[in-house]
Amino acid sequence: MSESVNLAPPSDGEVLVIAEQILGELQPVSLELLGAGRYLADKLGGKLSTVILGDNLGDIPKKLIEYGADTVYVADDPELRTYRTLSYRRVVCDLLETFKLPPHIVLLGSTTTGRDLAPRIAANFETGLTADCTELDIGPYEHKSKVDPSKVGLYEGCLYAIRPSFGESLKARILGPWKNPQMATTRPGQMTPLAPDANRVGKIVNIPVKLQKEDLRLVVAETVREVSKGVRLAEADVIVSGGYGLGSKEGFELMHELAKCFENSAVGASRKVVDLGWIPYEHQVGQTGKTVRPKIYIACGISGAIQHRVGMSKSGTIIAINKDPDAPIFKFAHHGIVGDVYQIVPELIRQFKDKLATKGEKTVVHTH
Amino acid sequence: MAGPYEIFVLIKQVPDQGSKAGLNPDGTIDRAKAKRMLNPFDRYALQAALHVKRTYGGRVTAISMGPPPAVEILLEALEHGVDRGFLLSDRRLAASDTLATAYALYKTVTHVGKFDLIFCGLQTTDGDTAQVGPQLAERLSLPQVTYCEDFHLDDGRLHARRIIEGGVQFVDCVAPALITVANSYHPLAYKSFRGAWRVQQLQRNPEELGKYIRTVDLDIIQADPERCGLKGSPTIVAATEKVGELGGNCSMYEGHAPDEMVGELIEKSNLKEFLVA
Ligand SMILES: Cc1cc2nc3c(=O)[nH]c(=O)nc-3n(C[C@H](O)[C@H](O)[C@H](O)COP(=O)(O)OP(=O)(O)OC[C@H]3O[C@@H](n4cnc5c(N)ncnc54)[C@H](O)[C@@H]3O)c2cc1C
Ligand SMILES: Cc1cc2nc3c(=O)[nH]c(=O)nc-3n(C[C@H](O)[C@H](O)[C@H](O)COP(=O)(O)OP(=O)(O)OC[C@H]3O[C@@H](n4cnc5c(N)ncnc54)[C@H](O)[C@@H]3O)c2cc1C
Repeated sequence: MSESVNLAPPSDGEVLVIAEQILGELQPVSLELLGAGRYLADKLGGKLSTVILGDNLGDIPKKLIEYGADTVYVADDPELRTYRTLSYRRVVCDLLETFKLPPHIVLLGSTTTGRDLAPRIAANFETGLTADCTELDIGPYEHKSKVDPSKVGLYEGCLYAIRPSFGESLKARILGPWKNPQMATTRPGQMTPLAPDANRVGKIVNIPVKLQKEDLRLVVAETVREVSKGVRLAEADVIVSGGYGLGSKEGFELMHELAKCFENSAVGASRKVVDLGWIPYEHQVGQTGKTVRPKIYIACGISGAIQHRVGMSKSGTIIAINKDPDAPIFKFAHHGIVGDVYQIVPELIRQFKDKLATKGEKTVVHTH
Repeated sequence: MAGPYEIFVLIKQVPDQGSKAGLNPDGTIDRAKAKRMLNPFDRYALQAALHVKRTYGGRVTAISMGPPPAVEILLEALEHGVDRGFLLSDRRLAASDTLATAYALYKTVTHVGKFDLIFCGLQTTDGDTAQVGPQLAERLSLPQVTYCEDFHLDDGRLHARRIIEGGVQFVDCVAPALITVANSYHPLAYKSFRGAWRVQQLQRNPEELGKYIRTVDLDIIQADPERCGLKGSPTIVAATEKVGELGGNCSMYEGHAPDEMVGELIEKSNLKEFLVA
């Protein structure tokens, strides 16, 4: 038996995570990526590095070390305060150019920023990029297809980038072992961060920021962002969420009324109604809102778009009220009532009140 | 530079996942049998392109890469008011990943000519990567506005609102630029009777139709076949695995009076455990 040679390109096994901050706030997906990156780097026997761009980054670099990075590349410059495609692209591409060997793997979050930036970097280096992964691993791959004879053979240490596809009904394993870096974006909430360790040692390296005029073609006039203040979506046991099916802003009064029937509850919302100004951003659940995991999630007049689903699919019990029996939300809810929110929700509240009343009576009987 | 604008819109034909026909037993799509449709996200891109033409003046060119039946979506685009279409079709493009697709589209765009704005959909419903737009912008060295929800033009300057985590961002830049349009933008207006009628007439006259829809191949656009198709693709789909429909076992309460359905729900679910004491 002849020993197969490893055709994978030369590599020192380094994994680079492109971390992300918005207005100085480190995004949770970056810590998740460090958790995943640590696992991959250890498997490859390489180091885990990360790059963070921004203005006045303070102790963010230190935090990245606590969460698993060996080296943190820091680009701190007033021009980098807000994410902009071309200037961030420039700094990251310049950094990658300084590597003797390209990193084995480069990871970003599948956020609006990651999905904006990753394809530009991948196209610049003409390398492969897998979108929106839910699992990452390392393993060998034997390429058998003879379409391109030069590629046939064994590759060790390939990134297995696994992503849901065709409306989540399939999982596809995407590989691109011929060239490094092998790139992927991962869906927020999927990877697990390491427990922070304040004693971890790592290196912080400041990197030059050399922007050119053409990198500043796009101007960010304003960033409007409401970070959660009073709304305790993350801690709630029961979340009552309203969507476009409520028909108007006033519908949220009904949501609050239903929420009041439960202990430790909160009101959530879809992005569509937040955009319409029916309720503030801090109530938004989903990809660009909060990821929640209550014991019960009651979705009222919400269709169940993928961007909403990723923020709440891990809830204990999902109850959907929607007048359309074919609404996608019924595909992943546990209980579904087909009906008008304005008939169902008041009835729910009425029956709960009845229940509470009878509970009360019973107690009275007991004490007598 | 004010209007009129030279506007390109990129559209892709995808399998219709609503129809169960054309699904292989393993859940992959049998492209020969599957029903086809215009990528639903590209309807917003079309609307945006047509909006620019109607508001500021200009010409809209739809561009698609795909097998010959993809001409159907270019016809559909003409019905909606697009001025002309280009179809890049070539067997050597089979199995292109996003990098190879963006390269081929880049060569097509430069073949078609000068432009001020390129509109793309947010993503497709089959590959679903949202990568082709930004990769094309990289090839063309353009600024990009992804996740664009709304925009207006002011003397050649694009002012746009885009989605970000927890909010929105207002950005602006001078054309040329590439924009990927979010599905919270205005839905595609119904096609006009006149548009549909005009396309019907055109279809009766292939020679005339050829003036509006042109099919090109890699040789015509002078693309390097080594950078297209499987050869030009750094990624491959190595394996697929069917996963059970999410949850898939929703208890449905349907077709009864609200009080009965609600009663049943309270009975069968764990709702009562969380009621206020
Ligand atoms: C980059 C990006 C990020 C996004 N991030 C998020 C996010 O974080 N969170 C999020 O939620 N969305 C997000 N979206 C938007 C998402 O794609 C959907 O557009 C949105 O979730 C739809 O909101 P909805 O379900 O309220 O509205 P619709 O999809 O319009 O659904 C309304 C539903 O109400 C039902 N209905 C109507 N009337 C009644 C009635 N009287 N009684 C009962 N049911 C009724 C209808 O049948 C329908 O199913 C994002 C989109 C993009 C592009
Ligand atoms: C299950 C599966 C998973 C895949 N995963 C990956 C992956 O992770 N990485 C990867 O590189 N490739 C992947 N591919 C291959 C990818 O689907 C193809 O390269 C495809 O040609 C373009 O990508 P997309 O459909 O994701 O387009 P997107 O990037 O989602 O499309 C965005 C927009 O670009 C424009 N556009 C895209 N394609 C065309 C076209 N043919 N003609 C005109 N305009 C177009 C449209 O405006 C569209 O709305 C995958 C394919 C499958 C079947």
